[in-house]
Amino acid sequence: MKLNERSVAHYATCNSPTDHAGFLRKRVERHHVHHHGTSYQRLWFVLKGNLLFYFEERESREPVGLVVLEGCTVELCEATEEFAFAIRFDDAGARAYVLVADGQAIMEAWVKALSRASFDYMRLVVRELEKQLEEACKSLAACHKSPRRSSSGKKRHLSNPALQPPQEKPTTLENGYSTWSSGGCVAGGAPCIDHDGGQTKPPPLPPRRRSATGSATGSPAPGLTPAMLENPMSPETICFSKLHSWYGQEIAVLRREWQERQKRGHP
Amino acid sequence: PAPRASALLPAVPAVLKKRLVKLVVNFLFYFRTDEAEPIGALLLEHCKITKEEENVFSISFLEEPERKYCFECATEEQCQEWVEALKRASYEFLRRSLIFYRNEIQKMTGKDPLEQYGISEEARFQLGAHRQ
Repeated sequence: MKLNERSVAHYATCNSPTDHAGFLRKRVERHHVHHHGTSYQRLWFVLKGNLLFYFEERESREPVGLVVLEGCTVELCEATEEFAFAIRFDDAGARAYVLVADGQAIMEAWVKALSRASFDYMRLVVRELEKQLEEACKSLAACHKSPRRSSSGKKRHLSNPALQPPQEKPTTLENGYSTWSSGGCVAGGAPCIDHDGGQTKPPPLPPRRRSATGSATGSPAPGLTPAMLENPMSPETICFSKLHSWYGQEIAVLRREWQERQKRGHP
Repeated sequence: PAPRASALLPAVPAVLKKRLVKLVVNFLFYFRTDEAEPIGALLLEHCKITKEEENVFSISFLEEPERKYCFECATEEQCQEWVEALKRASYEFLRRSLIFYRNEIQKMTGKDPLEQYGISEEARFQLGAHRQ
């Protein structure tokens, strides 16, 4: 499966916000008919958003792997190693990633960070905040306070819940690339994700996932019900497991190809 | 957003290939129309979505701005829908939105809305220069 690997590698190594980083040991499974082996490989992990990259070295220019943290659970796991945790996916065929930290606090920090790393989680939080802001605006308007109370020149209309975030927004617009702010605001204004109109209702949750979510980091968010957090995305996990398999099997080939292209002066 | 389909042409000039295209979080997957597994994906971070001529939009990436992945839709409306959806499809966009809303709510109500979620101290949600 193709991926825009050059852009991915660039994103992985550029100075966009890193949500967590550190060394972890990753379990490497070897499965042969006659011989099973388990070893651990020490790698440098970088979490950016919903993407967990891992590198051979801290200074490596491109990652050797990528885990997309959607539709997964992060749990402490039983292993001969101390401070081990696992990232597991709903898709039965998908591999689990077993990672080992150097200590209790490091492990807990990773589990916490990874549990809240999904795009879906962020989207939920953003929607909640958007609603809260609407309500705050409405109650301000209802109190007949000055409509310009906190605006100081902003073009916000308190009666209009669809807020325009013009100059207030940081200059980075459009998927994080500031020098490309194509002549002004994001078209259409409010920085909200459209309602998942049309998304089919998720199937009822398997019991395992509920308890896993509950135990992983001690209930992610008091304000959000478990039902809101569960978003199985089962038709999509096949896409992500394909991504993971792709990375696992082909990365060495791709790196070699890329390096050869670089040498040949490919733009 | 719901998965959507559209005919498109990947970045090979003057060649139109029909693909099923699906936006899933910050990835754009594409499929040959009858297959269950994608043949490719684009990570939608640090990219620019541009409306081109009628029914057409393009995606290009920060480190290779001259290379455009062009997509032709069935109708102009579909094209606009895609452009809007893709512009909001990055994690970085969500992060900025969250920081923006948090800041606005705090200014209006004096309260930090992230406290109830237990995530107010996370570095990823801090306003750039204003917070440690």
